Amino acid sequence: MSKSILYLVRRLCFYLIAGFAALTLNFVIPRLMPGDPASIIFARFRGKLKPETIDAMRQSFGLTDEPLLMQYWSYIKGILSGNLGTSIAYFPEPVSEIISSGLFWTIFLAGLSLIIAFSLGTLLGIFIAWNRTGKLDTFLPPVLAFLGAFPYFWLAMLILYIFGFSLNWFPLSHAYGNEVTPGLNLPYIFSVLYHASLPALTMVFVSLGGWLLSMRNTMISTLGADYITFANAKGISSRLIMLRYAARNAILPNLTGFGMALGFVLSGALLTEIIFSYPGQGYLLLQAVKAQDFPLMQGIFMTITFAVLAANWLVDIAILVFDPRTRK
Amino acid sequence: MQSCDRNVSRDKEGLIIYQEQFLSWVRNFEPLNPASIPRWPTRGGIYEPLYIYNPIKAEWVPWLATSYQWKNNNKKLLFTIRSGVEWSDGTPFNAYDVAYTFNLTKRYPALDTRNSWEYLKSVVAQSDTVLEVSFKRIYVPGFDAIAGTYIVPKHIWSQIDDPLKYSNPEPVGTGPYTEILRFDSQIWELGKNKNYWQPDKPHVDKLIFPAFSSNEQVTLALLSGELDWSGAFIPAIERIFVDKDPEHHQYWFPNTGYSTFLHTNTKHPILGDVRVRKAISYAINRPQVVKVGMYNYTEPAHVTSLSGPMAKWHSPDIDKKENWTSFNIEKANALLDDAGYAKNKKNQRLDKDGSILELDIIVVSGWSDWIRSAQVISQNLKNVGIKTKVRTYDFGAWIGRMQTGDFDMSIGWAEKGATPYNFFKGMMFSEYVKPLGEIADLNWHRFGLSEADLLIKSLERTSDQNKIQNIIQNLQHLFIEHAPGIPLFAEPAWGECNTKYFTNFPSQNNPYGPLSNNEQPSFIFTLLNVKKR
Repeated sequence: MSKSILYLVRRLCFYLIAGFAALTLNFVIPRLMPGDPASIIFARFRGKLKPETIDAMRQSFGLTDEPLLMQYWSYIKGILSGNLGTSIAYFPEPVSEIISSGLFWTIFLAGLSLIIAFSLGTLLGIFIAWNRTGKLDTFLPPVLAFLGAFPYFWLAMLILYIFGFSLNWFPLSHAYGNEVTPGLNLPYIFSVLYHASLPALTMVFVSLGGWLLSMRNTMISTLGADYITFANAKGISSRLIMLRYAARNAILPNLTGFGMALGFVLSGALLTEIIFSYPGQGYLLLQAVKAQDFPLMQGIFMTITFAVLAANWLVDIAILVFDPRTRK
Repeated sequence: MQSCDRNVSRDKEGLIIYQEQFLSWVRNFEPLNPASIPRWPTRGGIYEPLYIYNPIKAEWVPWLATSYQWKNNNKKLLFTIRSGVEWSDGTPFNAYDVAYTFNLTKRYPALDTRNSWEYLKSVVAQSDTVLEVSFKRIYVPGFDAIAGTYIVPKHIWSQIDDPLKYSNPEPVGTGPYTEILRFDSQIWELGKNKNYWQPDKPHVDKLIFPAFSSNEQVTLALLSGELDWSGAFIPAIERIFVDKDPEHHQYWFPNTGYSTFLHTNTKHPILGDVRVRKAISYAINRPQVVKVGMYNYTEPAHVTSLSGPMAKWHSPDIDKKENWTSFNIEKANALLDDAGYAKNKKNQRLDKDGSILELDIIVVSGWSDWIRSAQVISQNLKNVGIKTKVRTYDFGAWIGRMQTGDFDMSIGWAEKGATPYNFFKGMMFSEYVKPLGEIADLNWHRFGLSEADLLIKSLERTSDQNKIQNIIQNLQHLFIEHAPGIPLFAEPAWGECNTKYFTNFPSQNNPYGPLSNNEQPSFIFTLLNVKKR
């Protein structure tokens, strides 16, 4: 067992180094973009402000001409103390507060649809691989692969147009209705679920095929293995073979994929959020880039980076649990 | 689009407004800091200035002050502050609040939006109703900045630790709307100030602000009656919006008095020649640009770029001057020949070294009206043998190129103001000209003229209306002579309303103020006059 702990610690160290590298890139890349935020905000007024205003704005934003190394130092110091700075687009709101508001909706929407797509896809994959001569197996994989091959934004807009606009069954935008008060009350919860259903549906739609196919394919090759034949010969119930013997082995690649996808949940389903006007992380990121809001961009990229790394580490743990071979 | 059939469940007591594009609202009602973006209508609707400029009538309307007077050869400005005004919490408002506001911006230069303390010496309240503003140097245009400063309550702001980071979540103002009735991330509501100083106003009890994330959503909401008032750009508005319900669906895009420009980089070896700039201007078929690029929402620019409410500044000799914003291909060709750019057999103009003359027009990507305009211009210029390419850049990249002078031609705006002072200063003032590569916040086309400098400086020292008129006429003549930039078309202000539930919006027939809620702070005229049906 100590070996597996050593393995986890080693992985953790690797992730820490990767995280640090990402933080550094995160600092450098926005600074390579053309333009500076104060000038951009000034220009937005289209000639209605005097140029002297720019200096006032630079003072407020704390934009300095300090050497990059000093800026880098205060950036790292800020992150370690949990202070991500003040947003420029939403001045004077702190970045951490803006991100936390977007984060909630993103985790809710993208997380929920990922879990649905992953569990449904994997279960269906197990099932159709087990009954691989059945009708479902000839029908489902090509249909889902076909759907998954559509450009996502096109499919999402089509669905929004049909079910949201033409049929008027679902709302066109937002995370909840304007008539409800946020809080722990039934109308609010119902409204949130109602508003999330269409975007979540589109996300499940396009990703289901991937999960299903990869599960089905590994499952089929696992089912051909000798130990399955042996288990059959021993007379173990087929349900047990399907789930405990075959699926447990075959799920490993899907699990890695799940970990990756889990990390990317935080980057927000950018297109989904834009098409459905959903107030999540992806939409925030778009706004931040448009306004050259360095602090907000950095904050968002940082949460994404750490989420991906943390999810990978969790997958490492999960694989240790599922796959005894890694525990040697 | 059958969207009119959608079930509308809306609050019919509140005026629903779109002005800002946000997907979730941030609670910020701080009016002073130029870096902060407070919720509309903080600047004008919650906090009010001493005077409000009405761009439709081109006049200053007394607001928290009732009159002003220049003294001591324009080194002193006296305001009479309105009496009987109360803050929304019931505290009386007086000249001491005004003096406090100005001295706050002195103590925190980051709040001094228009850098007023560069020419101010002191701002003192002499009594509850008299405010004395003293100048370090004579600077008459400073009136605009002083009269336009939003006044904050002394009894609130003196309790704040750091006014630079203050987001003022519970505003106390003198404006018509001050009470936050609800503030959720997707929608918020603003109720009326029961102590408002204008009797019986405002007529509407509350304003409602749902979050909209795109212009398409705004259009849909206007069509379905879920939005009453908006300042969005809507393409083909007659067909998309008005035709669906001509009785209630209205828009008014009045001329703001200023023009959209084709900026020419005068440090460019070819565009530095005034003959080339005028030739380009003659070659542009403006009615076609307006039709194709701007959906006919506006009109071709006047040669001074001033029209509509600003036409009152025109010099009486203006019709005798050269009109290089007229469409005249022969003149354009003659000027280009004269400047030494001959044509080859393929009807292409050649640079002096014999290579084909080629210029870029840069436009912000996604600003489709201007992109189309640039394409029309590019076609027009081809007719006189000038090869041009339209290139689009992201806003940040575009502004970066403009500021450092890394462009040939570009579609952009020019400076505005209550008088054409800012405009001419932005166009021709030498001190604003920066070398190529260095950031210039104004005068991107990098044109300076010492004659203009003298006129501008004398304009800064006089409050005599006749002298002002005279100097501005001379500046127009210089502008026409040197063509530092090429005005394209008059700049309209977007405004739409759906009058199903509310009426008395400003319009062509009732032009009491701008319909566009982007006109800050003059949108207040609409806020005060709109009535429930």
